[in-house]
Amino acid sequence: MFTLEVKKLSKVAALTLFAATSIFAANAKAVDGGVDYKVVKGTYAGVYKVNEKAENAKGFKYGRKPTANELKATKIAVRYDWEGLPDGKGKVSDGDELFSKHCAMCHGDMGTGGKGYPKLTGGDIETLKNQLVDPEKGDEPPERSIGAYWPYASTLWWYIKTGMPFPHPMSLTNDEVYAIVAYLLSVEEIQIGGEDLDDDYVLTKKKLMTLHMPNEKGFYPDVNGKDGVANMTKFLSDGKNYGTPTKRCMKNCPTGKVVHIKAKLDDGIIPPVTEKKDLPKETGAKKADSKFAKLYEAKCSACHNNAAIAPLVGNKDAWAARIKQGKDTLYKHAIGGYKGMPAKGGNADMKDADVKGIVDYMVSKSK
Amino acid sequence: MNKVDEKTTSRRGFLKNIAASVVAASAIVPAALKAEDDPALIKEPEWGKKLGLPVDKYLYGQPSPYEHNVQRRVHKLLSSGDMYASVAMCPIQDLSGIITPNGLFFNRAHGGVAIVDPNEYRLVIHGLVENPLVLTLDQLKRYPSESRIHFIECPANGSTGWRSPQFNTLQFMKGMMSSAEWTGVKLSTLLKDVGIKPEAKWALAEGSDNSHMGRTLPVEKLLDDAMLVWAQNGEALRPEQGYPVRLLVPGWEGNLNVKWLKSIEFGDKPWHAKEETSKYTMLTPSGKAIRYFWPMEVNSVITSPCPDKPWTDLKKGDIVEIEGLAWTGQGTIKGVDISFDGGKNWTEANLKGLVLPKSWTRFSFMYKWDGKPILLSSRAYDDAGFVQPTIDQEVKVMGVEAIYHRNAIVTWEVKANGEVNNVHIRS
Repeated sequence: MFTLEVKKLSKVAALTLFAATSIFAANAKAVDGGVDYKVVKGTYAGVYKVNEKAENAKGFKYGRKPTANELKATKIAVRYDWEGLPDGKGKVSDGDELFSKHCAMCHGDMGTGGKGYPKLTGGDIETLKNQLVDPEKGDEPPERSIGAYWPYASTLWWYIKTGMPFPHPMSLTNDEVYAIVAYLLSVEEIQIGGEDLDDDYVLTKKKLMTLHMPNEKGFYPDVNGKDGVANMTKFLSDGKNYGTPTKRCMKNCPTGKVVHIKAKLDDGIIPPVTEKKDLPKETGAKKADSKFAKLYEAKCSACHNNAAIAPLVGNKDAWAARIKQGKDTLYKHAIGGYKGMPAKGGNADMKDADVKGIVDYMVSKSK
Repeated sequence: MNKVDEKTTSRRGFLKNIAASVVAASAIVPAALKAEDDPALIKEPEWGKKLGLPVDKYLYGQPSPYEHNVQRRVHKLLSSGDMYASVAMCPIQDLSGIITPNGLFFNRAHGGVAIVDPNEYRLVIHGLVENPLVLTLDQLKRYPSESRIHFIECPANGSTGWRSPQFNTLQFMKGMMSSAEWTGVKLSTLLKDVGIKPEAKWALAEGSDNSHMGRTLPVEKLLDDAMLVWAQNGEALRPEQGYPVRLLVPGWEGNLNVKWLKSIEFGDKPWHAKEETSKYTMLTPSGKAIRYFWPMEVNSVITSPCPDKPWTDLKKGDIVEIEGLAWTGQGTIKGVDISFDGGKNWTEANLKGLVLPKSWTRFSFMYKWDGKPILLSSRAYDDAGFVQPTIDQEVKVMGVEAIYHRNAIVTWEVKANGEVNNVHIRS
């Protein structure tokens, strides 16, 4: 019905279209299967007064049309049908190097996790049926890695380009993103066009656009076709699809046994929960954060506040041997990079003097 | 002038003054404190004997220092490695009514809380539209505004309970939600001039923060009750809530209410962003996952008593109010039932205060406690026809690996000594 009307009215102004559909949809459910509230005689949903002249006003002249360049800069999304994917290419072995430099400190070698941040690789589509009900009975969890779970590789490209590396996103070139995508797909043993992604494999836009991930069909409802939205409404309208009843049992209802907390997680809460009404403890005069303390928080703390990734600032044992090497060595390692530590912590645009100041701050906190 | 004269010079005024000073003198000498007296009433308190704070001490006000324990809290288990991609939970056990103070509103970020310069804020509306548009913040705020009270809830709220009860504090069982009065412009108003093309079925809302959060929404929702909001509870949005502008999609997953909003693009297909594929999808026992589960389902929890607010001060036979919060993203709360026997038998509670669509709603039940242990549960239902499920009902369909959208009935074990524990009722 909706689609039919859209076709009929395709040349009519948008406003008319929506007025028309809302008449057709009168008394129908909202798009989420819930109640479709309306403004009736200046009152919304029977409770909020509405100035209908304001709500229905048009002809505002505020703002302006964006320029072509502005729109290009704004469009950073990569849709599942690859709309938005820029040109570029990257080799698996280059991706390996980039991953070690920018990603492994958080996601573990080859993305296998273990650092407190999400595990990316090493899953298996067969595990998605696993239900970890009781670990003591040997139940295993499903492993939602990129190759096992993600329906589209477009998301991988988009995610890395706009969200990674975590402390300074939007810093990788398109070719670098292609290389890291190629590397992760190779670790996950994904093939493109029947071809393995070995070390010398060069991923291009054209090749990537032919890729279908193993779990592409592992999701429902079908939202991609012309009935995508309608499919969602149908699904959400029926509570049976997600274990929500529509009847209230009032007497002699099915019940069960009482299950108590076995291992309480409350101990990890920061600060501990208390209902006490007392005065906060005196913390003394709070020193204003120095420039380098602020820089440390902004540029370095994502790794150095996590003992699994980097020597924890404030941990004297972790720093004793490092401090012994002398400031010059620490400066050199911080500026030029050392093992898991990327040059300047990945902040290539930072001045050497600032890196040194941050090192001094970190040492002062860890003595 | 005449009055002063009368006081100081007339005989009548003189006598009056004597009388006043006698009364004052008797107040200065404290009455002897007897065993049955409360010193808090007999002694003049410290704050009554000196000046308070000058009115210019805090030009932006602070809660009483005695309330410092009412605060958001964090747990490493609920982070993705650090406190930048993490959540600070709202102390809902300490809240009254249906509005959350801005400083206590739960704080979920995917790449830290961005501090956006409002002077450089721009909103771009583009894609399948007749008139693409760029607005500054001042221009956006020129559009006619409306105010609505809505909760925002992260779909992972309560997710630690899929397998078994794990937290014994309401803050960490249900604190991934809060509620506010939001002010902004309805998108249906703003989009009239923009003109959405008929083939546009979907929109991508994107944030400007570190995570560049993008989420896909159906156009129908944007034209229904969605808003671009710039104020919460009467003041500018807090940075944690997306200052200066966030998208508000009433009743839907917190993550869809994109913060630090920088653009809305209209298209003919859904985008499948990272939070629609790798996360925010619900894996079921079939091995297939549900995606695009937009609304937050009907839900409720008893906030008094709860593990944080037990009945340890009550005596046998005391009359007490059982109070709680009910909410639904698919309509308006129609009613709440209470059970005292772990869900075998139910009785209707009362709703109280404002009962609004897609909003927290308070419920109340007067109860005479006989001092015996009870299993106390609440079950909400809404005007869309949905009823809050038991744990068994929900797990039967969803399994225990869905992570998101857990809305099963919460049960408190109230012990004879008044202690309250989080328990599950399982067949």
